[in-house]
Amino acid sequence: MEKKGKKDRRDFINTCFRFAAGASLVGVTGVLAHKTISGNTLWQIDTTKCTQCGRCATSCVVTPSAVKCIHVYDMCGYCDLCGGYLRPNVKNITTGAENQLCPTGAIKRKYIEDPFFEYEIIEDLCIGCGKCVKGCGAFGNGSLQLQVSHDICVNCNQCAIARDCPSDAFSRVPADEPYKFSGFKKEKKG
Amino acid sequence: MSKKHTNIFLLTLAVVIAISIFVSWLRYDPVQDFTTSVPGLDNRPKAGNEAVDEVNIGENFKFYIEHTSNLTGKWTQFRGGEFDNISKGKIKLVDKIGPKPKIMWQHDLGEGHAAPVVYNGKVYLLDYDEVKKADALRCFSLESGEEIWKRSYKVHVKRNHGMSRTIPAINDKYLVSMGPRCHVMCVNPESGDFLWGLDLVKEYQSEIPFWYTGQCPTIDNNVAIIAPGGRALLIGIDCETGKVLWETPNPNGWKMSHSSVMPMVLDGKRMWVYAAVGGICGISAEGNDLGQMLWKTKDFSPSVVAPSPLIFGDGKIFMTAGYGAGGALFQVKKIGQNYQVETLQKYKPKDGMASEQQTPIIYNGRMFTILPKDAGAMRNQFVCADPDDCKKILWTSGKTDRFGLGPYLIADGKFFILKDNGELTIARASTEKFELLDKVKLIDGHDAWGPMVITDGRLLMRDSKHMLCIDLRAN
Repeated sequence: MEKKGKKDRRDFINTCFRFAAGASLVGVTGVLAHKTISGNTLWQIDTTKCTQCGRCATSCVVTPSAVKCIHVYDMCGYCDLCGGYLRPNVKNITTGAENQLCPTGAIKRKYIEDPFFEYEIIEDLCIGCGKCVKGCGAFGNGSLQLQVSHDICVNCNQCAIARDCPSDAFSRVPADEPYKFSGFKKEKKG
Repeated sequence: MSKKHTNIFLLTLAVVIAISIFVSWLRYDPVQDFTTSVPGLDNRPKAGNEAVDEVNIGENFKFYIEHTSNLTGKWTQFRGGEFDNISKGKIKLVDKIGPKPKIMWQHDLGEGHAAPVVYNGKVYLLDYDEVKKADALRCFSLESGEEIWKRSYKVHVKRNHGMSRTIPAINDKYLVSMGPRCHVMCVNPESGDFLWGLDLVKEYQSEIPFWYTGQCPTIDNNVAIIAPGGRALLIGIDCETGKVLWETPNPNGWKMSHSSVMPMVLDGKRMWVYAAVGGICGISAEGNDLGQMLWKTKDFSPSVVAPSPLIFGDGKIFMTAGYGAGGALFQVKKIGQNYQVETLQKYKPKDGMASEQQTPIIYNGRMFTILPKDAGAMRNQFVCADPDDCKKILWTSGKTDRFGLGPYLIADGKFFILKDNGELTIARASTEKFELLDKVKLIDGHDAWGPMVITDGRLLMRDSKHMLCIDLRAN
């Protein structure tokens, strides 16, 4: 004899399918709504994780790399003996090529007043090797930092540098906050 | 036109085109857009064009209060009376400071890294007065922190990773200081009376090092020992009169570094060891050859030298520097009437003991330091090594206890290590392992690089803008 109120198997499966369909609809709507609210995302480097391994220069699908050195002027000590500009242990502190750390001469140095010098990154020449960033971090205030330049980055679904990055420093960031450099002002510096 | 003429025309045309292409190829300069990186592109002015301002050393004096003290503790110069950075006080110090440090007093200072000396209850510090733009030699009471007197002189110093960065030298009768722009001043430590002054740039053509000088003077038998670089590598000045008693010639033009002159005794012979920008040398400190160079080496000559030579006592000297220089171990030997120096070890910072600013400590047959930022996986760790093999690190403070460019010293069998942000770590002074006792944030500061002093149970420490006195007495 059939018990009163007990569902048969057919009703149970129907109910399950209805719930699943409803949950899927809500889920898809939620994801779309979240994407609409949060907008697009872009690849960026977390400067606190970056170890300046040099792979940004070679792994990027764009040539030269979309990763560039930026200069956070607020943090710069404007040193004459700049660890980001000069090779370690240089004997003469001049703009001579033999004294420069950057392999492409992408850092321009300008006298301000004794004993301060200003350093400017020439983005077209920068290949994102990070040598200057390493030097600045080791001996200076760390005002030179590597960042993905969104003017150049093609925003691949799977970033080739992120895949090769040994310190997991690449992540997606909201498009309305595209840079992650350390410093006092959160705006991109030339 | 006949076929023959057509062929001649086409041939001529081909030759002309070929010649044109060849000439164009010859004339094309593939590197025409290149710019050459040559010295002078930064528009640095030529040396000697700077305006020289007149400095009247010791011109101003202010006396605030009378002061007497029963305290007898002494920290008479950079690294203390025996140049070893070990406090010899007998007072038992706390193992743990706890959450509420006993801050006895605190003073605002000009930005910098200058540190004090202490003599019989008085604290002496060469500060920089940013408002009056003056080097200011200030005397405080160790017990109360009250300012007793101040002697100052106007000198323009720009902010450049701090302004002040030296430690005076003191004995019963004399107090000698050196300002950031190489102005040497000698005063009476009791009264603050001005005795004499010397401008090393003017008198010795000294070149002020990057970020101003960090060299700390020393006093030996009432003779002030200073390393000007420039016209003389080392000089001895009579503290009574200010008269220069002897000068060491500087034929190689070695320059002043941030390093300070350290004493060494080898086979009974006293000498001064100085690490200049250019090389390291030993200079006779006594006898008929007083002031003469006994030995020198150019085997370790980075462009910036901040730590001072570490003397091991058996003729071995350890030298280190930052900015990728690493470390080097030398052996000085007397052979016949001459001295010879041999390089035993020389290596990069990731391969052994190295330091960027502070001078390592020798204690119980072991050497201790904080490795610099470019020391690889052990960067910024407090480490111990055997002085016979500076490349062999015996133990480290580990990944969780990293430090910066701050100072460290030994007192009452404990290491006191200060981090850049004002956090003080106390660890057992063990040669076996890093044994953490306490870690406490004493000040919410930055660039706490000035050397510390512990005497009479009190710790004197600073960050870039403040000096604190903390009671460390256990009872």
